[in-house]
Amino acid sequence: MNNMTNGGLFSVPGLRRLRVMTQKELLQLFRDVALMVFFLYSFTGDIYLAASGVSMQLKNAAIATLDADYSFASRELASRFQPPYFQPAGSVADARQAIRRLDDGDVMAVLDVPPRFQERLQRGEQVSVQLQVDTSNSVLGFLASSYGAQIVGKYALEAAAQREGLAAAGGIAGPLVEADTRVWYNPNQNDAWFMGISELLTVVTLFSILLPAAAMVREKERGTIEQLMVTPLTSFQILFPKVVAMTLVILAGSAIALFGVLGPLFQLPMRGSLVTFFLITALYVFTTAGLGLLAATVARNLAQVGMLTVVILMPMLLLSGAWTPIEAMPPWMRGLAWISPLHYFLDAAYGILLKGVGLDLLWDSVLAMTGLGIIVFAAGMRRFGRQFG
Amino acid sequence: MAGSALVTQTMSAPAIRVEGFIKRYGKRVAADGLALTVQRGEIYGLVGADGAGKSSLMKAVAGVLAHDGGTVEVFGTVIDSERAAEKVKQRIGFLPQGLGLNLYPDLSIEENVDFFGRLRGVPGAELAERKNMLLGMTRLDAFRSRPMRQLSGGMKQKLGLVCTLIHEPELVILDEPTTGVDPVSRRDFWAILGKLLEEKGITALVSTAYLDEADRFHRVSLFHEGKVMGEGTPAELIARVPGTLALFRAEPQADALPRLKAQFPQTEAMGAWLRVFAEGLAPEQALTAVEASLGTHSPPVGSNSFDHNRRSADRGRINSLPRQADTASLPLVGSNSFDLGWESTDSGRVNSTPRQADTLPPQGCLTQRTIRLSDWFAREPELEDVFVAMLRQRGARLDTSLPADAPAAAPTSTLAIEASGLTRVFGDFRAADAVSFAVPQGEIFGLLGANGAGKTTVIKMLTGILKPSSGAGRVAGADMRSAGLAIKERIGYMSQAFSLYHDLSVVENIRLYAGIYGLDDRRARQRSDWVIGMAGLAGFENDAAGRLPMGLRQRLALGCALVHEPRVLFLDEPTSGVDPIGRRMFWDILFHLSRREGVAILVTTHYMSEAEHCDHLALMFAGRVVADASPEAMKQELITSAGQLLELRVDRPVPAQNALRDAGFANVALHGRAVHLLSRDADTDRERLPALLDKAGIAVQSVGLRPLSMEDVFVQRISALEEAGRRPA
Repeated sequence: MNNMTNGGLFSVPGLRRLRVMTQKELLQLFRDVALMVFFLYSFTGDIYLAASGVSMQLKNAAIATLDADYSFASRELASRFQPPYFQPAGSVADARQAIRRLDDGDVMAVLDVPPRFQERLQRGEQVSVQLQVDTSNSVLGFLASSYGAQIVGKYALEAAAQREGLAAAGGIAGPLVEADTRVWYNPNQNDAWFMGISELLTVVTLFSILLPAAAMVREKERGTIEQLMVTPLTSFQILFPKVVAMTLVILAGSAIALFGVLGPLFQLPMRGSLVTFFLITALYVFTTAGLGLLAATVARNLAQVGMLTVVILMPMLLLSGAWTPIEAMPPWMRGLAWISPLHYFLDAAYGILLKGVGLDLLWDSVLAMTGLGIIVFAAGMRRFGRQFG
Repeated sequence: MAGSALVTQTMSAPAIRVEGFIKRYGKRVAADGLALTVQRGEIYGLVGADGAGKSSLMKAVAGVLAHDGGTVEVFGTVIDSERAAEKVKQRIGFLPQGLGLNLYPDLSIEENVDFFGRLRGVPGAELAERKNMLLGMTRLDAFRSRPMRQLSGGMKQKLGLVCTLIHEPELVILDEPTTGVDPVSRRDFWAILGKLLEEKGITALVSTAYLDEADRFHRVSLFHEGKVMGEGTPAELIARVPGTLALFRAEPQADALPRLKAQFPQTEAMGAWLRVFAEGLAPEQALTAVEASLGTHSPPVGSNSFDHNRRSADRGRINSLPRQADTASLPLVGSNSFDLGWESTDSGRVNSTPRQADTLPPQGCLTQRTIRLSDWFAREPELEDVFVAMLRQRGARLDTSLPADAPAAAPTSTLAIEASGLTRVFGDFRAADAVSFAVPQGEIFGLLGANGAGKTTVIKMLTGILKPSSGAGRVAGADMRSAGLAIKERIGYMSQAFSLYHDLSVVENIRLYAGIYGLDDRRARQRSDWVIGMAGLAGFENDAAGRLPMGLRQRLALGCALVHEPRVLFLDEPTSGVDPIGRRMFWDILFHLSRREGVAILVTTHYMSEAEHCDHLALMFAGRVVADASPEAMKQELITSAGQLLELRVDRPVPAQNALRDAGFANVALHGRAVHLLSRDADTDRERLPALLDKAGIAVQSVGLRPLSMEDVFVQRISALEEAGRRPA
């Protein structure tokens, strides 16, 4: 009896309590086969799929031609819609068929060339062609219409230059402004890097909410939480080890994703300090885990945790700027974005991995994340304390 | 009656015939070659602990679970396919396990009944008629429009029964209908069921985890770990292991227990008393053998007959408590009912005066302290004693590795737990209302009460999980509100759910709690070894806690609560679902802790038979403590206020029950083929009741006194309080 003193948090028994509780969480997690399979898949297979499959670029969009002119010029224009952006998909006989193929999703665009197209060009008259684009997917539709406009514009310029006799070998001999772009950080505009990192951060967020919430609600369901409340553990000593254990596991998952998938398979550069990256990830997990614990004080069972996780995760993703730049959001949403920890993590992760920047530039994101983390964790502890106090 | 043509058609076949029934869940064998036959019109009981295979068999009979081997026949139809099951389903009513699990919580009572009626295709007029009859009988008709989720456990179970009976099945299958239901509602449930079955000629297959409910059935099968241990009428089963059940005091008790255990494995401490099942011995032999093992060698003194009070020799004594060893012994309430088992031989006459060694050495003699034996009573064993004996014959062991020679704790008057005016209010509901009691160090204190009476709320306030709205509690010398974490190192707590981490191994669980309580590694190892020895977990160290049998899991949970050697132990419903062997070992450990280590133990239980293990009891009702006394004092008071318990074996129990009610007996209950009643004047009633029933055309086979149980006490008290609560409202 007398060798047991409650002691402070950092006394020998205090630290021993944190240690055994953390070990317990890790053991329980590793023995949950279903959860571990889901976890490993998310940090490998899911990220591989996102990096290799998902692309926001226009690739091989099927385009049909409604050619009412049947001339050299019309065929020349149609033939310019080529891979990688477009894929010719034959011709259609009339407007009705064109609409039907668009409706079917059989083609993404229809190029409509009017009668007497060549004749009017050669006469020096102005002439329009119509490009009908399926913009159900607004990004791809936008890209298709702008690439199409570019192709037609270039053809028109060449046709005009030829008529005016300005055509030269390999270009136009006339007053022209060339735009010369330099692509930084991702010179090949490799989508895999962006999508891979974005997916990794999403998966990190998902598990940061889910794992602590699931661990907590399982204790509630089994009644072990009452047992812990009767022991000399403080709320902090019960909650913090869960967060520590889950942070360790998620860091391990991130390492697998970076060094097992994104590095070797997609040549992700990882330009900045990896130590900084993992430190910031740990901080982010801690912050988000607070949200998970908060959710666990509300949820009664694992199914409710699952639903709450989705409810928390979706707005976090939307507001983070992972899918849309924050600047493009309406002002009230921009305000909300500042309280999404993912927003800061995103800045930091892209900054370190792709741009190679360090803490000297990221300190404000780190500070904001820490602040949010402390507030959320404290709220979780408070609710937990009140629920069981 | 519906289906009467069918009844005659298949009259020859028994209602249920099961042979070689096997059911596996993955690798686990739930039922291993079960066999039984249920005749028409019988109330047949399946008695056994959780996981004994009862539910698997019942589901197979109900046609909702496929089995892996053997044959199941219902009304002569072999249930071997979905189609075969469909053929008899209309003639069956099935109430699955779990309070109200087959009902719809958001529907009202009436809507639930209507739903089940229409589901079974009962025509409208008939449905209305049956509904009125059944709801009236179960006294649910006053609450017709109340949603099911707002009903108490007992009411839910009665509604479940109504919904099961609405299509007038010929066979009802009820899976643990009384588990988790308070004793008053439980008795009510049995009364309604008995009446309905008798009136409608229905056959019933009913399971229960309470061995003391076995006498509610005509015939029973005792289940244990997927096997049938015995089948027959309760009396036949009891006769299968002859012997004597002895109840007596021995001082000092803590020394007597290990000596007795060496010779009689089925020895238990019940509060201040000892309870020994002397297998194969007649009462006189049992007395001699007990004296021999205790080292008391005085010849029997006096010639008091076991049945002295029945013969009105000294009826006055019955009102005083058999407390002091120096008074002529008083029978423990009602325990003189040898006529149930021993009357024919007359060898049950044993001395019931105190006896002691002729020389009484001073206390604390170093080698062999003399033990004084007093207040000896003997009678026929109960079904549980016989069941445990059967299990022992099959190799079950009752011993734990607790040191038998540890010194007894010095008696102390230090209070370990003091509740004074503890009150907890949730909204306008008073879960606990001015609860006060005191538990000295070294006492086993029982908190009894129905679900929702406030037991758990009190435990939670005392352990610091819940803050009291008012009042105070001191535990281990500290006020629990201000003491905070310090108090928690002195208490151990085991919740209803056994609170183990199922995915951690035995050792990992123990080490976790050792670490939580701040034990260093050396100490943690020592205590871990102690727990494994105490709980009989050797060989299971690396098994996941979730895969342990219930009994072991329960003792592991107890071990985890004891890892830091607390001075005060709180146990919330610690033995639910555990088989009798496990329960005995558990109480042995508690006894050891209280007597040898001076630990104060507060335990809640809904097993009324377990309440008798406690030194002291507090009975809770609607958040208040309504009685606070020792078990024998409570029984004594019941005798004074309501009378003694008489058992009548008759040929037609239901009419007998009605006739007795008409004769003015208020507490008449049906137990299988017997009727129980409380009699203020047992001697006269024993003589006059056979004649009284004979006039009603009922033949009485026997009349005898039965010992009162704590359940009798509980039901009496609570019924009276409920009655009082209803009147002003």
